[in-house]
Amino acid sequence: MLSPFEESLLSIMMIIIMFGMGASLTFRDFRIAFKQPRAIAVGFSSQYALMPLIAFGLSWLLNLTPAQTVGMVLIGCMPGGTTSNIFAYFSRSLLSLSIMMTICSTLAAFVMVPLLMQLYTQGIDEALRIPPDQIARLLFALLIPTLIGIWLRRKNANIGAVVELTGGILGALVIIFLLATWVPRNWQLLLTTPWTVYIAVIMVGLIGFNFGYFFSRLLGLNPQKSRTVSLETGIQNGPLAALIVSLSFSGSVQQEILLIPVMYSLFIVLNSTAATFFYRKWTFREELARDQAKIEPASTGSPAP
Amino acid sequence: MSNDAVYDQAPWVKLYSPAQLALHQGQAKSSHHWHSIPEMLSESAAKYGAQKAFTTCMPNGMNGSLTYAQVDEMSTAFAHYLRAELGLQAGDRVAVQMPNCLSLPVAVMGVLKSGCILTSVNPLYKRREMKHQFCDAGVKAIIVCDMFTDKLQDILEQTPIKHVVVSSLAQWFPPVVRGVLKLVLKYWNQVIPKHQLSHHDMDQALNLGRQRQKEQNLNIKDYWQGLTRADTALLQYTGGTTGVAKGAVLSHGNLLGNVEQMDSLVQGHLLSGQETVLTALPLYHIFAFSVNLLEFWHQGAHNILVPSPRPIQNCQRAFDNYPISWMTGVNTLYNALLNEEWFTAFPPKHLKVALAGGAALHATVAERWEKAINCPLVEGYGLTESSPVLCFNPLTAPRPDCIGIPTPGTQMRLVDDQGQTVPLGQPGELIAKGVQIMQGYWQQPEETAHALRDGWLYTGDIAIMQPDGRLRLVDRKKDLILVSGFNVYPNEVEEAIAGLEQVQESAVVGVPDPLTGEQVQAYVVLREEGLDAATLIKHCKKELAAYKIPKKVVFVAELPKTPVGKVLRKDVRAMALGQSTAA
Repeated sequence: MLSPFEESLLSIMMIIIMFGMGASLTFRDFRIAFKQPRAIAVGFSSQYALMPLIAFGLSWLLNLTPAQTVGMVLIGCMPGGTTSNIFAYFSRSLLSLSIMMTICSTLAAFVMVPLLMQLYTQGIDEALRIPPDQIARLLFALLIPTLIGIWLRRKNANIGAVVELTGGILGALVIIFLLATWVPRNWQLLLTTPWTVYIAVIMVGLIGFNFGYFFSRLLGLNPQKSRTVSLETGIQNGPLAALIVSLSFSGSVQQEILLIPVMYSLFIVLNSTAATFFYRKWTFREELARDQAKIEPASTGSPAP
Repeated sequence: MSNDAVYDQAPWVKLYSPAQLALHQGQAKSSHHWHSIPEMLSESAAKYGAQKAFTTCMPNGMNGSLTYAQVDEMSTAFAHYLRAELGLQAGDRVAVQMPNCLSLPVAVMGVLKSGCILTSVNPLYKRREMKHQFCDAGVKAIIVCDMFTDKLQDILEQTPIKHVVVSSLAQWFPPVVRGVLKLVLKYWNQVIPKHQLSHHDMDQALNLGRQRQKEQNLNIKDYWQGLTRADTALLQYTGGTTGVAKGAVLSHGNLLGNVEQMDSLVQGHLLSGQETVLTALPLYHIFAFSVNLLEFWHQGAHNILVPSPRPIQNCQRAFDNYPISWMTGVNTLYNALLNEEWFTAFPPKHLKVALAGGAALHATVAERWEKAINCPLVEGYGLTESSPVLCFNPLTAPRPDCIGIPTPGTQMRLVDDQGQTVPLGQPGELIAKGVQIMQGYWQQPEETAHALRDGWLYTGDIAIMQPDGRLRLVDRKKDLILVSGFNVYPNEVEEAIAGLEQVQESAVVGVPDPLTGEQVQAYVVLREEGLDAATLIKHCKKELAAYKIPKKVVFVAELPKTPVGKVLRKDVRAMALGQSTAA
């Protein structure tokens, strides 16, 4: 389903994008993110508590086949994808928080994914172990270019800004290219896929966005952080799920399960683009409103002037 | 002792530092012997040549810089272009219409060096306002940012403008960055309109100037050697809040006098040649022009120019990437910064002093700033007509809720409607005399006679002087509301209304009332739903005397404002009158 060329294009895309995103960050951004451990904790629990449950619930409601259910739950258990960072960036959400969440959830994936898979897909667990070297490779792909980007920006703000811009544009171009080549080649497959699968892969992302947002608001995060958590929750690492499936299964079972992560990846791009436009406008409006908002007196409880 | 004598004794001198006292008594060590602004500009250029003078910092961190020597060379070339290439004469008016960017100081200094008269134009002006200023000032040449050429093109034929120079935000950025930035501005932000103006690019203009200089062996000093402090340097348009804009005529001596006064204020707090100053306020405004451009150029500071501080996030990279040690701002800017997590979580380490002016600094903002940011936020006061600094808070002992004391060498009195000085502690219109007071309004003898009487500038602001000489502003005189013979200051009522959590802002105006002469009306913008007029009036009753309480409360979506964000009470009043006749 994914050609080797497409797979390597995916990795190159990730590297360029992380490089560009690193260039948009300073260490101070990370320090600010760590000043709110609560935001990271909330994001972590929405990622690993809400999403698997949503994926499992959808499969059960739509009466998916066991193989499709495995695919769905796997998507639900995945850590946040780098795609979420791109969309966080374009939607003017808190990029640093998004990246911190991606890093934390990816690190935790070593433990959490096998555990959750065991819980939700009892009976098929043995074959669905997550290959640790795959995760290590991903982390590598994620961290090194990011660090180089951060360093570059410190070194020279102009180069940093150009790299940041190029990374963003190239990233978008590669995604469009992948979609444009994959969809025509797999047209037949898309036509024969049952509608329940469409509903499942589209809804898992959308419900994730909504739950992520309201869950964070409920736990007292501000709207901007909640939007970041929302994107991070809804957007899962689809390509990683696809890789795991292709490494763990073969033949027609592989095809059947693989369909889910691939279709998810396809639709999450569309879903996230819509969410991004919406959030972007929202953020901009908030920024202007914050400009004009009056600030609270320094000492609480002091009388109004 | 007469009331005049009380003020003329200058009770505030006790708060002066020795240097300020010396300047006040006219005994300052005469280090500043400049006859004109170009002399001051050249002196600093020679002293700080290789140091960075200006850096434009874009919201994404892209930046371009010029050193003191570069700005000096370029502005000289530009002066030659104006005089030798375009054939302008000393005293001809040249307009500069640009947001903060590298071309602005080059253009401004070029105009001043050429002996021409500068007039700064607000880039946000609409066509009608631009046309008025160009015609009123008799502008012969303009340097305009490429973002506003469409407006200029539409009105050019109706103005006396003969020559157009077009520059860009990306001017003098490193080549690749410049290209990328131009693409982004043109195709992503789409802020650069097409135009068919016959013009020179900034670089072309400089090259033509350099060529003339070489061919004709011109000496830049010839343009300004004959200038004196009495000669006009700047026509700064003002009065957007009262009606048609008029040009305050500021001479070289007015502006240099104010620079000398500012020098005495910052002495001991500022290290010449080592400071970095953030210029987020527009340089076409007198506050940033005099303080950031003139004073900090004189002090050899590195000026970080932010083209647009809205949204305030646009300033983040400037704070990230440069050791900002001084900054200027208005209340709304400081308020916006304090609402940003990236600013308050890691306040700028090197920041020594933040200067506030332009509009009243709210006590809550000052209070929060002091607690959150480890540096004083110091309020000053001034007008376009006074170049602009009239009052300042001593940096060693700034006080919130007061505009400080008069600058050294300034005389000040508070007077009543008959022009009689009021006793100390009573509110009165602030009038001032000093080296920084304008020559008058450009070709407006009546307006000038009204504002300048016996050399005193009538500011139209009502203030109270405390026994130690510190001043507190009460309100604008023309906004005063007279209810049954009682004075109501709109500011006071607005502050009371601002105490309500749901209120974002309000404007209080007076409209004619058959019973009480005038009645108080409040126009209120809410930031959240859930406040009705009855609750608001009940709240006012707790805070204010009965005659000050609004008779009518109108909730509106927004208030009319000037481009810099001051509420236009006269427009609100017009709104109120229109509504009351309709009702």
